[in-house]
Amino acid sequence: MRDPDSRAGNKLIRLPRWLTSEHPFPWLFPASAMLIVFGLYPVLYSLWLSMFKRNPATRIETFRPSWNWSKVFADDRVIDAVSVTLTYTFIALTIQLVLGLGIALLLDSDRKGFGLLRSLMILPLVVPPAVTGMMFLLMYDGSFGVISHMLYGLGLLSPSTPILAGGTSALWGVIIADVWQWTPFMVLIMLAGLRALPKDPFEAAAIDGATDMQAFFRLTLPMMSKIIALAVLIRGIDLFRIYDYIKVMTDSGPGTATETLTAYAGTIYFKNADFPYASTVALFTLILVVIIANLFIKIFKVRF
Amino acid sequence: MSFKSYDKQTFIIDTANAYTQRKISKRDFLSKMGMAGIGMSAFATGVLGGARPFRGNMAHAAENNTPEDVAKFLKEAGKSFAGTTIRYTSEATPPTVVLDTLKAEFTELTGINVEIEIVPLEQVLAKATQDVQGQLGTYDIYYLDQAWTSTFSRDTIDPVQYYKDKPDLAMPGFDFDDFSKPLVEGICEYDNKWVGLPFDIPIFTLMYRKDLLEKHGIAVPKTYDDFTAAAQMITAAEKENGIFGTGCQAKSGHYSLECDWTQAVWGHGGSIFGADKKFSGNDAEGVAGLQWYQEMLRNSPPNSVASTWDGQWQMGASGQIALCQSWAEFFPGWNADDSKVKGLWEMAHPLQGPHSLRGRGDVGFGEIPNWGHQGGSSIALSKYSKNADAAWLFLQWACSKDIMTRCTLAGGFAPMRNSSYTDPRIVERKNRVGGGTTRHLDTVRWTIDNVMASEPDLPIWAGVANNEIPTELGKLVTGQDYNGDAKACMDQIAKLVDAKVEEAELI
Repeated sequence: MRDPDSRAGNKLIRLPRWLTSEHPFPWLFPASAMLIVFGLYPVLYSLWLSMFKRNPATRIETFRPSWNWSKVFADDRVIDAVSVTLTYTFIALTIQLVLGLGIALLLDSDRKGFGLLRSLMILPLVVPPAVTGMMFLLMYDGSFGVISHMLYGLGLLSPSTPILAGGTSALWGVIIADVWQWTPFMVLIMLAGLRALPKDPFEAAAIDGATDMQAFFRLTLPMMSKIIALAVLIRGIDLFRIYDYIKVMTDSGPGTATETLTAYAGTIYFKNADFPYASTVALFTLILVVIIANLFIKIFKVRF
Repeated sequence: MSFKSYDKQTFIIDTANAYTQRKISKRDFLSKMGMAGIGMSAFATGVLGGARPFRGNMAHAAENNTPEDVAKFLKEAGKSFAGTTIRYTSEATPPTVVLDTLKAEFTELTGINVEIEIVPLEQVLAKATQDVQGQLGTYDIYYLDQAWTSTFSRDTIDPVQYYKDKPDLAMPGFDFDDFSKPLVEGICEYDNKWVGLPFDIPIFTLMYRKDLLEKHGIAVPKTYDDFTAAAQMITAAEKENGIFGTGCQAKSGHYSLECDWTQAVWGHGGSIFGADKKFSGNDAEGVAGLQWYQEMLRNSPPNSVASTWDGQWQMGASGQIALCQSWAEFFPGWNADDSKVKGLWEMAHPLQGPHSLRGRGDVGFGEIPNWGHQGGSSIALSKYSKNADAAWLFLQWACSKDIMTRCTLAGGFAPMRNSSYTDPRIVERKNRVGGGTTRHLDTVRWTIDNVMASEPDLPIWAGVANNEIPTELGKLVTGQDYNGDAKACMDQIAKLVDAKVEEAELI
């Protein structure tokens, strides 16, 4: 940052105060600009777009502010998509949370080799979700997929019902891919929390004769509650807007069994080219996420 | 050191270890992980955009036989565009894959660079939709499936008119009349305009395993009834050996399911729309067609309900099915060297009867009910292109007689131009078994010229054919809804489609 009294040649240039380092503006501007361009503008534009009725045949858009919003609440597929989204989010989040915390507890050690194990844990995170979807798609394939054949062998699946062709099994199939990829993220957060816990309470509990289970439920969990809440919030929001796996693995099918809100918005946008309605569904998703996240923050008293 | 070499040395693990041991900074760690991510993304691109379902059937393209006057024209005309880069996005159809390998010849002649993005069909539609909506001109050339012709007709330049308007850029001997007339009508004409140039013609024909039919003493099916009986008999006899009577491309929500369904409806005397422009798939003939399709699914590998054309191709190449009425483009691959059943597949005319076809006067939106469903495509010059003239040169080159013939020789799919059928290089390969065979082309040509069917032309068809219809059909065939009741499913589709048509003010 230039000094306000800096010189250029022989001339003294005095910068306006709001451009100097003492003023918050130069420090806030880059982040604010990013937020406006990539956050606020798309939302406002979507809001504007949602107020038009588009004729896909003529491509004429007429200003009808309530048209798409009425359509959202009357659309059976939106109602189904809300249900699928909530189910998907709840199941995946629960599994990832439990597994994440469990694995983090196992990896919370300074013994030799554990550093390597922690490093290996992050491997799934570097794989793009679309590739993960593709991998699982191939592994689930009813004719040559390794997972399908394993399940046939164990008698847990019949060859007449491919995993991704059944409503319930397809949803589970996608959730498993999500769990494989994102449980390590939970592990990392939980591990960071566990490593930061003070040792004194645990030593005191051990002297008092507390068992490991008692120490876990009475000390670890309460002390980790804020970390857990934060992890649930971050992953919950992420899961609510799931798109990649659904698109690659099931394309919302069979029927609409795996159609989440974002997947439905994508279908309306890319297949039907009804941009205003797709924007409305996307905004509806945003509103739901904001409401649920805030309810969660309030109920669980999350403080940042 | 290249990323590949790093990868071999467990790049990610080493990097993570180095970071946890504080040997590298957080910035370096993130940057290296980003590098790994790019590598994985490249892998993803390869997986998602591969040359499916026709991989393994590409013979070497024949030698360059571009006429001297054409080569000279391209050199002269291309001079002023040297260094320009033109872009187009396409599905991994055989002509596109072959063209991608031949495009260097065009660049050598003209100095114009060509970037071809090969992505799945749904993404081609998405990219084209975004481009025309914003009138961006990101793509100079659009790959248009026949179901989208009317949707994008206003976004392209009529090539016939452009040829006349730009005589200095008109390729000598281009000869528009050489294009197969039924293909021009069925694929690229809309509202008396050429929306693009015919580029690819996957069309339904009957394909059968002669060894299995002979084994069970079954004659080659000619009608839907023959086909049903044969499929049932083979499934009953061979299911334990992992072989089914037929195979379908019935993935829920995918256009492939809509294509199968359309042919089933036409084949049973029905149509998608009636003369009153109302959806008619729920009438008696339409429902009979869907019920027949449900029966075929019972005689198909279970994975049919999770398969698009990729999966159906796999079924044929791996010897899982005995009969299939589907895309003729499968044939060269099923007979290629890496097919498990090389040389055992034969092709016949598509199934006809016993039901009569619905007349063109009894249907709406220009639909053409017939025995051979076509899924052709065209390549079209974007109205929003910033390099329209350079792209026009490429378009003419790509659809010129020599290049189209060479595409057929390499990929084995049906040519767009009549002259290709009589080209000595094509004729010479009629007895060949394996990659690059042309022994099926007479049947394909007969189907195109005599019994080619086309889906309706209406501007919202791309959406309806890719969303509402296959989604509801998917619910039925996977048992998600309707409890197997074809009529209930068709009634629901009728409700949805009629509402869309009405909303678009097309009725």
